[in-house]
Amino acid sequence: MRIENKSIREINSLFQKKEIKPSELYKQVFENTAQSESVLHAHLKLFEEDNLNKVKLSDERYIKNKSLGLLDGIPIAIKDNINLKGYETTCSSKMLSNYISPYSATVINKLDEQQVLYTGKTNLDEFAMGSSTENSAYGLTRNPWNTECVPGGSSGGSAASVAARSSIAALGSDTGGSIRQPASFCGLVGFKPTYGTVSRFGLIAFASSLDQIGPITKYVDDTRIIYHSIRGFDPKDATSVSDKPVIIPSNKTAKVGVIKELMEEGVSEDAKNEVEKIIKLLKAQGIEVIEVSLPLIKLAISIYYLIAPAECSANLARFDGVRYGLRADGKTSYEMMERTRAQGFGSEVKRRILLGTYALSAGYFDAYYGKALLARKKMIDEFNQIFKQVDYLISPTTPTQAFKAGEKTSNPLEMYMSDLCTIPANLAGLPSISIPTGLSKEKLPLGVQIISKALTDDSLLDFSEMIEKEVAFKEEPSDWIK
Amino acid sequence: MQYNPTIGIETHVELKTNSKMFCRCKVVDTEEPNVSLCPTCLGLPGALPVPNKKAIEFITLLALSTNCKITKQGMFHRKNYFYPDLPKNYQISQFDLPVGINGSLKIVLNDQEAEVAIERVHMEEDTGKSTHMGTGRIDSATSTALDFNRSGVPLVEIVTKPVLKTSLEAVAYIEELRQLVLDLGISEGKLEKGNLRFDANISVANSESDVLGTKVEIKNMNSLRSLERAIDYEIERQIKALNNGEIIAQETRHWDEGKEVTKPMRSKEGSADYRYFSDPDIPNMVLDEEFVNIIKSKMPKLPYQKRLELMQTGLSIGEANILSKSNDWIVKLFHDVYSTTKNSSSTYNWITGELQGQMRKVEINELPSWFKADSLSEIINLIESNKISFSSGKVILAALLVKNVTPYDVAKEQNLFQENDSEKILQIVKNVITENSEVVVRIKNGEDKLIGFLVGLIIKSSGGSINPSIAKDLLSKELEE
Ligand SMILES: [Zn+2]
Repeated sequence: MRIENKSIREINSLFQKKEIKPSELYKQVFENTAQSESVLHAHLKLFEEDNLNKVKLSDERYIKNKSLGLLDGIPIAIKDNINLKGYETTCSSKMLSNYISPYSATVINKLDEQQVLYTGKTNLDEFAMGSSTENSAYGLTRNPWNTECVPGGSSGGSAASVAARSSIAALGSDTGGSIRQPASFCGLVGFKPTYGTVSRFGLIAFASSLDQIGPITKYVDDTRIIYHSIRGFDPKDATSVSDKPVIIPSNKTAKVGVIKELMEEGVSEDAKNEVEKIIKLLKAQGIEVIEVSLPLIKLAISIYYLIAPAECSANLARFDGVRYGLRADGKTSYEMMERTRAQGFGSEVKRRILLGTYALSAGYFDAYYGKALLARKKMIDEFNQIFKQVDYLISPTTPTQAFKAGEKTSNPLEMYMSDLCTIPANLAGLPSISIPTGLSKEKLPLGVQIISKALTDDSLLDFSEMIEKEVAFKEEPSDWIK
Repeated sequence: MQYNPTIGIETHVELKTNSKMFCRCKVVDTEEPNVSLCPTCLGLPGALPVPNKKAIEFITLLALSTNCKITKQGMFHRKNYFYPDLPKNYQISQFDLPVGINGSLKIVLNDQEAEVAIERVHMEEDTGKSTHMGTGRIDSATSTALDFNRSGVPLVEIVTKPVLKTSLEAVAYIEELRQLVLDLGISEGKLEKGNLRFDANISVANSESDVLGTKVEIKNMNSLRSLERAIDYEIERQIKALNNGEIIAQETRHWDEGKEVTKPMRSKEGSADYRYFSDPDIPNMVLDEEFVNIIKSKMPKLPYQKRLELMQTGLSIGEANILSKSNDWIVKLFHDVYSTTKNSSSTYNWITGELQGQMRKVEINELPSWFKADSLSEIINLIESNKISFSSGKVILAALLVKNVTPYDVAKEQNLFQENDSEKILQIVKNVITENSEVVVRIKNGEDKLIGFLVGLIIKSSGGSINPSIAKDLLSKELEE
């Protein structure tokens, strides 16, 4: 097997045994990138040259048996809404085209402890608003499995980078499915941890109460290794939690619920079939699987499209041309700010800022934002009730396989529906993972989503790994990359 | 027609925490711009706010000391508006769940105790500072300079109910509030540095009506003097307008310090919709009983309590109020001196009058280390017991401020002790009468002013140590015989 197809643990073991050097792997992933990047456009910036010294030092550490951890020398791509000191963080927006961050996100500082090699910054929907990576001011990213299709979004660049073997793993951010949906579209594992377990400090906020950073990888174990490296209480993030992980059954004694509302209309037969396949497989293991109902899940998209835009309308107010980023001309401060925002933001970002501003306006607050908060609370109650009956919830990750580029750009509502299954976990702050389970007739990847209760991330990963083994998804993206 | 004014005051108090409200940048007092900054207080992308525990302790102290009801689950909200010196273009503030509500503050007005009802006490972050070049106005400036040192400095906003009636009451309220934050140790309390900044809401209503008039907000009053003048001006302006049949516009007006008038600001601000919503970056503040009890245990003596103690010595409320707003060492000196003199009025006069006057004269702000309360007590007691004259007391005090000596030594050295022995004085009086028989005749013929001349001679012949009032009494008696 090609080295870049192996798991992080296997690669590390080869490094330790000195059968291969980090520099060789590094060279390999950039050779892969050279083949695919012009077509896929997974990255906004590649750091090949920047790391040459770092790679050498990593080689030396392994020679001296002094490596810094499982991630020492592992090439990892970073979504371009996570700050890396001294580099641009553009959020795929014209607004930040020239913005260089003077500080690194907490997750980066944590990965630095193991001297991870950052391969580049990956493309995303502008400010992480979108489900296809088509809303990038710097051009869309294509799906390595079928370049006519989108890779999903908003972490589409990260998913494409890992799928095309331009990196061993990638960091993404997930506000309503932005890790899990592209992972599913690209045949990868995508994990959104429990809200608060990974610091958001240095992640450019879209919707603060929903955003979480997480990994996109080929294997569940890779996800576990990265998650364990980036999680932990951060005194710089007041929403970060110091609670200990909670352990629930992750073997044959686990109880699984299938979310009825996500197996109804609006979800494709392909997507449902994948879930059915997993149910069968679980039952064969002797695991109890029941159907459960979470009626308020049907409101999730409505709740989300009030809360997320409301938060984003304030979070994105700071982009005004005064202190950094794009600055348009204007005779007065206000004219400059207005023109900067008119020129700097793309249409989807503007749509959401307008939506959020409206929802928070005097006279409309109670009817929209206030109600959404109440509904969110009720939905969380429903989840709490359900988790008294089952340990894990299972559903499709996405209602459909990857769609064609351009197919939904003119219909925002239809685009919003692609997050139908993933949004509830964000609203409730729950850990949620997408794992690849098979291919559609069109040879596009499909995945299933598993959700568990807050802080049970480790158990969720164990349980997912068990399914991963049973499914044995070994497919790789189309031949042209190889 | 009669009109009644109603005034409400909103005061921003800058807290003296070491670091800013939501980041660890130092709170600095410097003219040099942009020296205390970080991603959080500069609103850089990805930076997050973490509340300063000390600031929350401080505001809880203030809320408790003004008898506010403490909100168990305080919440931070985002107040959304665009301004170049507001880095995030929203201010982290509080909305419907402030730290404290429905309190009161005891003040002294016209030598009487009064109470001002407090509506709310809430926490927020300060903005940066804009300097609009050219015109001084954002909409016409040629450029704007920004200093973010102040950005994120913790502020408490304390809002009164609309209950004040006069500018003097407003001034007394601010004076009391200033003393309170000083005694609580939560602010430098310097008006000239903007540690306390206040806006006034003023309306006037027909005295026969129960309905309040239209509220006008006055900004930019930088001193107690401008607060007083601005309120007086605005009340008069509104009454004049009503008498002319005009309608008062609900607006924000700006106090023009130079011209001593209020002028309307851009009306846009009055109708702003701040779209408050709870800040998803900050979990609720838990201000439960346990926390409140800890804060209560840290509560120092409050100004009104200091006043009560002072009044128990016999001081009037006015005197007690003046003392309670003096430096701590003055209050302590008063109590120490009073404990031996038991004479509150002369102790008060000596401390607030002579002592502080002489200190100003020799340009010192604090007492020399050797100066003991006992020394002042001794001076007062020497005067009270007629051992020295009042003016000798002043001489002794002056000496004590420049060198380490005792009042007794000074009196002795400068021969300030008075002769109080009537027998001895009488002898001198008799001698003077005998030696000046011509003068005595003239006095008996009605030239009363020559009595003083004789008293002078008596004192002179004693070497200046005779108690003049005893000498005068004895002389009068002798002359009558
Ligand atoms: Zn700071």
